[in-house]
Amino acid sequence: MLEEAGEVLESVLKASCLPLSFLLFVPAVLLLLGPPPAAEAAHEFTVYRMQQYELGGQPYGTRNAVLNTEARTLEADVLSRRCVMMRLVDFSYEQYQKALRQSAGAVVIILPKAMSALPQDVVRQFMEIEPEMLAMETIVPVYFAVEDEELLSIYEQTRIASTSQGSASAAEVLLHTATANGFQMVTSGAQSKAVSDWLITSLEGRLTGLGGEDLPTIVIVAHYDSFGVAPWLSHGADSNGSGISGLLELARLFSRLYTYKRTHAGYNLLFFASGGGKFNYQGTKRWLEDNLDHTDSSLLQDNVAFVLCLDTLGRGNSLHLHVSKPPKEGTLQHAFLRELEMVVASQFPEVKFSMVHKKINLAEDMLAWEHERFAIRRLPAFTISHLESHRDGLRNSIMDLRSRVDSKTLTRNTRIIAEALTRVIYNLTEKGAPADLQIFTEQMQIQQEQLESVMDWLTSQPRAAQLVDKDSTFLNTLEYYMSRYLKDVKQHHVKADKRDPEFVFYDQLKQVMNAYRVKPAIFDLLLALCIVAYLGVAYVAVQHFGLLYKTVQRLSLKSKQQ
Amino acid sequence: MTLFHFGNCFALAYFPYFITYKCSGLSEYNAFWRCVQAGATYLFVQLCKMLFLATFFPTWEGGAGAYDFVGEFMKATVDLADLVGLHLVMSRNAGKGEYKIMVAAMGWATAELVMSRCIPLWVGARGIEFDWKYIQMSIDSNISLVHYIAMAALVWMFTRYDLPKRYRLPLTLLLGLSVYKAFFMESFVHVFLLGSWTALLVKAVITGFLALSSLGLFVTLVHGN
Repeated sequence: MLEEAGEVLESVLKASCLPLSFLLFVPAVLLLLGPPPAAEAAHEFTVYRMQQYELGGQPYGTRNAVLNTEARTLEADVLSRRCVMMRLVDFSYEQYQKALRQSAGAVVIILPKAMSALPQDVVRQFMEIEPEMLAMETIVPVYFAVEDEELLSIYEQTRIASTSQGSASAAEVLLHTATANGFQMVTSGAQSKAVSDWLITSLEGRLTGLGGEDLPTIVIVAHYDSFGVAPWLSHGADSNGSGISGLLELARLFSRLYTYKRTHAGYNLLFFASGGGKFNYQGTKRWLEDNLDHTDSSLLQDNVAFVLCLDTLGRGNSLHLHVSKPPKEGTLQHAFLRELEMVVASQFPEVKFSMVHKKINLAEDMLAWEHERFAIRRLPAFTISHLESHRDGLRNSIMDLRSRVDSKTLTRNTRIIAEALTRVIYNLTEKGAPADLQIFTEQMQIQQEQLESVMDWLTSQPRAAQLVDKDSTFLNTLEYYMSRYLKDVKQHHVKADKRDPEFVFYDQLKQVMNAYRVKPAIFDLLLALCIVAYLGVAYVAVQHFGLLYKTVQRLSLKSKQQ
Repeated sequence: MTLFHFGNCFALAYFPYFITYKCSGLSEYNAFWRCVQAGATYLFVQLCKMLFLATFFPTWEGGAGAYDFVGEFMKATVDLADLVGLHLVMSRNAGKGEYKIMVAAMGWATAELVMSRCIPLWVGARGIEFDWKYIQMSIDSNISLVHYIAMAALVWMFTRYDLPKRYRLPLTLLLGLSVYKAFFMESFVHVFLLGSWTALLVKAVITGFLALSSLGLFVTLVHGN
């Protein structure tokens, strides 16, 4: 058998037996020519990329998604073309800017596992930084990662390596290279590119009033999308989960009132859950265009009493009615304002209610509140919110988590709106109802559990406009939920214009990042020297094996003689 | 890491074999094809072992982390086939004892090196990730060269017709140690939870002991009579 094997090998090597040699050599050649394989990673973790979008031709956020650089922390002297790791706990805008100014290759910000347990000042500070981070021109990729033990240990090792770098002597550095680990951060995904034909979806549903064709319409609007520095981390509890859950609760209550003939009022109620609210209210804009310009008959065209927009209702002890033009006396708008004031004063004295008047600034890139979209189209509109200013960081923050919404407050605010709305619709004040008449009690109670579960559902997933696909389960569920109470529920889609797009979204927002343990090149050199020395010793040892042999021989002879 | 790192590991793993081949005088005997044949026997024996293991020891899916001592022992017992294989190689070659031992051991160890370490090194040491295990693997291959030389010497001594009775017991013991060395090492690592560097050191010490004892026996056997 052995002779045969020898013959076969010989014949292969002489290449007289072509197919067999082919069989033997092709895999070997393939193996040699193949790209360096990606070995098992030291650690693999999910990272969420910072926003990347264009709005009205203006780019925002980071421009890049690909990362393949060594990790450093801010303590290191040289940050250029390194991946800078930071922890949110000791994150500051100055440090972030410093890293970018030193032309860092990338920034990875490590978020704590329990975001809701963060101290308030850190949360506040970060909320203020977020819009600035987005507005700043950032060419390198910026990623967010949620911390775990492995990632923390990588961060700590990197920090130790970065701190010791500057001060140590040459010998220390050499020793350090052998013992310490560097980390190469590599993302698996491709470069980010613009998503073409992305559809922003909005949902509409109605409750038709009793009697006649030309009934006045009250429109209730809330945008459902959330926004934060990273789309995959934007859960948008208060903004605008609270608005949507308030809208759904109002839909539920009024659908009950509208099923009985005695309580069926002479107003059409139009509910609209708009998409793209954080991108200059794109969904609302298209909806208005469709309804006002392109169709002949629509509820919005004929007789709109007022448009009520719900935004951030889940916190605090104040309520503000934002208007772009103070309502004139005698209009329904004014009546609603009066009713709100009355309900708050007589039933909820702890709530501070005020009207905030802000003119529409068309010179600005972004509209402040959703009602301005309607006001531009000369529809009487206002937004109700607990925030005094539209600039509040809470409206665009990844820190806007479920824990920041107080269900009791949300229930109370929904109740105030429902009471005031009912008083307008049924004209109760003129009919002589007392100011402290409570309508929504007992069976008609605002259900706090319902609001809570809707809030839980809304915040269980990121609802950034880039992530809510038109066939997503989120939209399907929302549509189903609305159609339980409302009639004619339908979707409206917005697609950005091909030539002159108003908004452009980019992909690669969620990626897997690998942290590979690496050593510097000098380490290889050092290792090569050690190996050469070892091989030299081995060579000498094998050459002089006779010495050992003789020694053993002498020893054995000696023991025999004894 | 880089191709350079692979070069390092490769040099560390292969050069001792090369040095041994050149300096032991094998090259002067034109023993290359003999070594290749020994390697082919290695392949054949491993194939038989694998078939046997797959037939009689289907994979133990014992709970994660549980170490199956009996199963591992049985598997180590199959390594007795290595002894038979080495004997087969040596019985096919005519020549002096040292020459036979060296040819068998070199062929055997080189075949193992090529078959079981070449691809992991190429795939692993060239990847981005740095890991000491490729350096350890290379050092381990040096240890196994010594191991196979000692083992071949033991087999040669054991199969001699003129073996005095008193040598039989120590030879059997040493052969047993050489066969079950891997099993002992594994159990040892498992029981004492050794780190990879300590385990390598222990392995080197055991192999050194085995090699020195075999050398002692060989010397007394060859020059004693």
